[in-house]
Amino acid sequence: MKTRECFELLAAERRGALVVCALGMAANEWWAVTESEDTFYMHGAMGFAASFALGLALALPQAPVWLLNSDGSLCMNLGCLITEGGQQPANLRHFVVANRVYQTVGAVPMVGRGAADYALIARGAGIAAARPIADLESLRTALPAISAGPGPQFTVLEVEAEAGFLGTPPMPYEGPEMKYRFGRSVERRFGVKVFGPQGY
Amino acid sequence: MDPYAAIHAELRRCGVTLAATLPDDWVAPLIRRLDADPALRHVPVAREAEAIAICSGAFFGGVQSVAVMGATGLLTCTGELATLNLRHQIPVFCIVSQRGSIDDHRIYQEVQGRRTVPVLQAYDFPHHVIDRPEQIGEIPDAYAACRLQKRPFILFLSRRLLKGVQRG
Repeated sequence: MKTRECFELLAAERRGALVVCALGMAANEWWAVTESEDTFYMHGAMGFAASFALGLALALPQAPVWLLNSDGSLCMNLGCLITEGGQQPANLRHFVVANRVYQTVGAVPMVGRGAADYALIARGAGIAAARPIADLESLRTALPAISAGPGPQFTVLEVEAEAGFLGTPPMPYEGPEMKYRFGRSVERRFGVKVFGPQGY
Repeated sequence: MDPYAAIHAELRRCGVTLAATLPDDWVAPLIRRLDADPALRHVPVAREAEAIAICSGAFFGGVQSVAVMGATGLLTCTGELATLNLRHQIPVFCIVSQRGSIDDHRIYQEVQGRRTVPVLQAYDFPHHVIDRPEQIGEIPDAYAACRLQKRPFILFLSRRLLKGVQRG
């Protein structure tokens, strides 16, 4: 299955979840599918979208939080799984787009060359609800339970690598503007104060 | 008063309800106190950059947080502090042991003592040193400065504050 097809299914099943995207391909493809402002599109800190999403989920337990991670980013911060397993955030859904290459830089071979079993690693880290999904129909069938079931839920999306560069443009908002768009969106939707009375 | 208890009390005054931590021996007693606080979510992490990103995510949930680590750990996450927090102007308040000071007679800390502040200056990350018990009350001002400056703020705790004067 293709990453774009997976994201179109996820977008249809999202039901208002806040989304955190790993930088590069995951962020670009999600923007292309949704153009949503209640998504934090990581611009840097490769590997740490997972930690960012965990912090958001712990701070806002009433909000469903979906993390769209990638296998390259996951491998850069595998310890995030132990932290997530230790915290057991009930509102966090962790998806990993696993194409087994560094897609954003032109489908360059990545660490492990596809041999790692990410769902098994997640279970070993204490995330009991972890599974790989390799085709769209299985994803369509599993998504309602993933969405409704107790978190954390860890789902590896076994997608095809694309040949070379994808060319999907990134979202067009620079770091601080994206911060304020996302933060104001959280304030409106969940009634919390992210920014102070003078705007910072 | 136990400096760790006083620091903990000031963090409560700041409204901190989430702490992400990875200890060195100087800040370990503070982390034990935070872990025992039922009003606070404690997130032990596997590496310090996780703590930075967890606090950054918590910011968007409207939660006041703190990252606690040693000076060596701080040096490991300068890339994330720059490309996440500086790039997006996200405040993150870090409490860090001031290792490598002249009274820290550990050879494995001397580089941290010489080079950490120049690294922070290169990134334009503000920092402040709490060196004496009477300065612990400055923590809420430091926390407010972090929010105002919308970037990482490093609050160093000195050896003299945490361990007393070293003799011999």
